Amino acid sequence: MSQLIKVRPTKIELVKLKRKLTLAQRVQKIVKDRLSILTMEFLQTARDTIEAKKNLVDSFSSAYKALSIASGYHGYIALEKELIASETDLRITAGSRNIAGVRIPSFELPEKEKEKPIRRYNLSDTSSWVDHAAQLSKRCLKHTVELAELQRSLELLGMEINRTKRITNALEHMIIPSLEVTINYLNMKFEERDREEKARLKRVKVLLAQE
Amino acid sequence: MIGDSSYDRMLQECLKGELRIVNAGLPQNRKSLSALLGEEYPHVKCSDSGVHSFKRKELEYLASLINANEQAALLLPILIELGANKAEAAVICQTGIEEEIISKILNMPAQPKNRRITIYKPQLTLLRKVLKTTTQYMFTQKILK
Repeated sequence: MSQLIKVRPTKIELVKLKRKLTLAQRVQKIVKDRLSILTMEFLQTARDTIEAKKNLVDSFSSAYKALSIASGYHGYIALEKELIASETDLRITAGSRNIAGVRIPSFELPEKEKEKPIRRYNLSDTSSWVDHAAQLSKRCLKHTVELAELQRSLELLGMEINRTKRITNALEHMIIPSLEVTINYLNMKFEERDREEKARLKRVKVLLAQE
Repeated sequence: MIGDSSYDRMLQECLKGELRIVNAGLPQNRKSLSALLGEEYPHVKCSDSGVHSFKRKELEYLASLINANEQAALLLPILIELGANKAEAAVICQTGIEEEIISKILNMPAQPKNRRITIYKPQLTLLRKVLKTTTQYMFTQKILK
């Protein structure tokens, strides 16, 4: 049951409460709309995440397959010796965007990075199997960056949905009902006062008439 | 009885904060597609002094849909207005190029009414899936009435 707000029973308080109720109802509208947008974005991000994860697993499995073929061809130790120097700096463009008040990270591999092959190993000592594995690992990188963005977005959107839901519930089940109950209580109190006043005036009129 | 105390004041502040948050991501000034394509890191500044970044892939996709003159006229991000009616949203169509883009992406004829193209939730989902960074939500005063 909604609780009464402790206020002095005056007309000014009633006006203040009515203003608060209007504000709360407006905010409820906005928060509900925001919640529906956030939920829509969350579901879309979840679908994209599933797709990105599938792509990532596929690309990693094909890259491992290519790498194992290359290691079978060259020998594990020889391949490790070649690849130890193949580390390369990675550049990612990181930014942010805003979805209904939630700041979401945005990662993108620049075109130059996408095109640049991972080739720091000796081309004369290695075969095309290693080139193929390197090419596939580049694809893994692209999908990892995509998944990182989606996963973080999913977390942030989920947290914001929880927060917004709490606000919606508080408005719907606590704030608005208690304001309405208090306004009703004050209205009834004022009506009762009016009735008392009328009864008193009638009594005074009767007494005056008797005199 | 709940007291009209600091808790109540905090609640009021919290509610007012909600109103501020929803439109915090709106851009201070929009840039044309051709200008954004020329930038190394395409972005616009937001009203909360943050940065809204665009993905180059999306910009290039938009550029493939329209010609060079239209690219110079199209202002980004495209604003999606959310009104009081929860079932629909409106794409703000200032230059008319938005109409062409929307009709191409959604594969349907788009008719602007009062410079707004009305779209429904499933179409909004489709549009946002394709144009994640080049569109932006806007909560208008209409929602408050």
